[in-house]
Amino acid sequence: MSSITLTNVWKSYGEVHVVQDFSCQFHDQEFVTLLGPSGCGKTTLLRLIAGFEKPSSGMIAIGKRTVSGPEDFLAPEERGIGMVFQSYAVWPHMNVADNVGYPLKIRHVPARERKERVQEILAAMGLAGLGKRMPHELSGGQQQRVSLGRALASSPQVLLLDEPLSNLDAKLRESMRFEIKEMQKRFGITVVYVTHDQTEAMAMSDRVIVLKDGCIQQVDSPSRLYLEPANAFVADFVGKVTFLPAWAEKGQIAFSEGHNLAYTGTKQGRVRVAIRPENIRLRTDGGILPGILAHTQYLGDVNDCRVAVKDATGNDIQVRVLLPGKTFGHFHQGASVWLDFEDFLVFDANESTDLGKA
Amino acid sequence: MPHGIFHPLSHGFHAKPESAARIWPFDLKTLLIAGIVAFLLLFTVFPMLYLIYRTFIGEQGFTWEAFTRIYTYPLNWEALSNTLITASLAMIFGVLIAFPLAWLVGRTNLYGRTFFRTLFVMTYMVPPYVGAMAWLRLLNPRVGTLNLWLMDVLGLAQPPFNIYSIGGLVWVLTTFYYPYAFITISRAMENMDPSLEEAARISGASPLKTVMTVTLPIMLPSIVAAALLVFISAASCYGIPSIIGAPGQIDTVTTRIIDYVYVGSAEGLSDATSLAVSLMFLANLVLFASTFLGNTNQYTTVSGKSTRPNMVDLGRMRLPLTLLVIIFALVVVVLPFVTVALTSVTQNLGKPLGLDNVTGRFWKILVTRQGIADTASNSLIAASVAATAGMIVACAMAWLLTRTQARGRRIPDLLITLGSGTPSVVIALGLIMTMSGRFGINIYNTLTIMIIAYMVKYQLMGMRTVVSAMSQIHPSLEEAAEISGASWIRRFWDVTLPLIAPSVVAGWFLIFMPSFYELTMSTLLYSANTKTIGYELYTYQTYHSQQTASAIATGILLLVIVVNALLHKLTKGRFSI
Repeated sequence: MSSITLTNVWKSYGEVHVVQDFSCQFHDQEFVTLLGPSGCGKTTLLRLIAGFEKPSSGMIAIGKRTVSGPEDFLAPEERGIGMVFQSYAVWPHMNVADNVGYPLKIRHVPARERKERVQEILAAMGLAGLGKRMPHELSGGQQQRVSLGRALASSPQVLLLDEPLSNLDAKLRESMRFEIKEMQKRFGITVVYVTHDQTEAMAMSDRVIVLKDGCIQQVDSPSRLYLEPANAFVADFVGKVTFLPAWAEKGQIAFSEGHNLAYTGTKQGRVRVAIRPENIRLRTDGGILPGILAHTQYLGDVNDCRVAVKDATGNDIQVRVLLPGKTFGHFHQGASVWLDFEDFLVFDANESTDLGKA
Repeated sequence: MPHGIFHPLSHGFHAKPESAARIWPFDLKTLLIAGIVAFLLLFTVFPMLYLIYRTFIGEQGFTWEAFTRIYTYPLNWEALSNTLITASLAMIFGVLIAFPLAWLVGRTNLYGRTFFRTLFVMTYMVPPYVGAMAWLRLLNPRVGTLNLWLMDVLGLAQPPFNIYSIGGLVWVLTTFYYPYAFITISRAMENMDPSLEEAARISGASPLKTVMTVTLPIMLPSIVAAALLVFISAASCYGIPSIIGAPGQIDTVTTRIIDYVYVGSAEGLSDATSLAVSLMFLANLVLFASTFLGNTNQYTTVSGKSTRPNMVDLGRMRLPLTLLVIIFALVVVVLPFVTVALTSVTQNLGKPLGLDNVTGRFWKILVTRQGIADTASNSLIAASVAATAGMIVACAMAWLLTRTQARGRRIPDLLITLGSGTPSVVIALGLIMTMSGRFGINIYNTLTIMIIAYMVKYQLMGMRTVVSAMSQIHPSLEEAAEISGASWIRRFWDVTLPLIAPSVVAGWFLIFMPSFYELTMSTLLYSANTKTIGYELYTYQTYHSQQTASAIATGILLLVIVVNALLHKLTKGRFSI
């Protein structure tokens, strides 16, 4: 059993609370991602689990063993976990095999057994035959695999990954996403993954924890996060969204005089309507809101449009609309169009979507 | 740098000879390099080559005669062996002290770590002879304060230490040159990605195991470079062996060279030259080795986000280790400085310091005696001029090295490094032999020759400080000014200079300070009118009054503290050595 349980964990530096009252259980063999803008406390949380930081208060347990608590504190080396660092942290003075075999050497695994295990890991990482190479002879992607291999070498039950893909180029990043997920299933380990990249989080996770200013915003599966964001911040951070101010009454939402939307929800008064760009249709023969097509950009697979609409007070708001790429040319810049909403979310008007430093 | 954009400075080298405006930056660069190289060839390379020539070329061509003659004297063999033994031991002890200290201060939750860091870095700026003076007072076999105190406390019949010994020399050399290793190793440790150590911890290694299997091996090139720096500094040192060795009749190569020069005869100069050439070869060999080590960049790693290094929790060892570092600081830094300060107010050195034995007489001498004021003024002028000229060269070199592709821009860099790696006695002797009229230049007995000597020896630190500041300024900042229409002078004045100004000031002081209290070269180059404060102090210490010497030394110490505080503010403690 290698669940991870955090109970009322706080981490403060003086008056600054980096992690606030964090409680959550990561299940055995679950892939959990900590997602949030920089400064949201996600890396600190990971370092708290690793034992590089001590919580100001609260408890952390791995399986049934308390690793950080008021009385107990296990040093990182006593926690039996694997970790992949953003900078890879592959030791430049050891060759690939020595890097991967280091955790086994520390645990006094006999040389022959160690060698076999290292070969096994290298093969699994696609590094077979590179054991004698020095790190500076490897590409960034290969160093990344060495780092992952080393983290898995001693068969840990828990693997922590700290933005492991951020130093790789876009193509490699995509293929590594599959590989990491594959490794997790194959080795049956609990993974805690830190990233600010929502596509990475969506692609790999069983559950995603969205953080802001050290506070949990939502804990959910990627699809629920996307379809049913708990608040405007999550809606904005996960996926693309345009917010339109509106007024909610029973049965309908009014954007401005005469432009209404049927509404079955319970919110009343001033609201903000969040609409994802793929849930909007552009029409010429009428719809919910009229607007002017301000920009249209051909991106190959999609036609990325901005439509300027007016809110109740007459201010211009640019609504993002994603259409299939082949529609490019159907609408011209400056054309009058109508927006039709297939799906939307409603939030209270005073809810912040401020992404801070992100 | 984008091609296709008109870029007179960086592309000046390839500029077509169409307009004068495109040609002249090319000339400026070449002129600058030629000027600096000419200066260095004349005052660094030529004197060194002449020393070699004098040693090996006799009337019938190449000969080992001068070299073999010098080593037929057992005294010189002994001096050589003393130099090698003391420098090697100082190197070993220096690194053994510096590495754990750098680790404790840089990587653990030791109490007061930033304070200790500042303290240990500061000792690097203190003239070594101050240490020699202090330890002479403390560990004199008959009247040493510490010796007497230890005899009293431990009930010993004999004084436990004798400063006039190889051991005494090693002790003072170690305590005054370990900061070189401390600074070098600390800097390397700061530049090391902390996740390399964290990866070891998470792999199951204890803090100690992490140090042994990861930190130490990764730091090895820096540690070796630090060791070589300590070795060559100790081997080239004259201030310490001249004060401690002379009464104990322990000669080193440097003291022998200066003794030979003081003999004054042609033969004396020849013998000095031959010895100097041995020391020069040793130094340049070491310099070459450490440059070679510094260039192995296979240990460069991808740097991640700038996480604060994880501070190793010392746990129960936190207090004991802090106490150990406090004791070390008290013995190695506080005790000698306090001793020198107290000596300066002691009436009678033969009696213990008490209220009846306190005097302000020597401080009065310090401020009233014309000789001291004159020498201080000489030093102030020479050091200021050397620092100012040095920084002009440094700025030009920084520009050439970091902003241009000019051919030959590495040559001055190499020659400046060579000069700085050459022992002071060798530089001074070379200048005496070549600049006293033999080759049409006679600047012997002038302040100019001192200024040149200081520049040759201390230029490097100033240059490195500016170069590293300049290389941290991305060229795009200047390109942005260029694209906004600023001429190169405007660009330098509006963008570059404000950004490197703190480093230029820091570099100035890094040349000024050692030049101001310089002893070795001044001893060889001074004349009746160009005595320096360092030499004046040495004269008082050796011949007249230790108290007056101590008063001067205390004054220098106070200056060091002020300058150091300034440097710390300017560079956040990251100046280069």
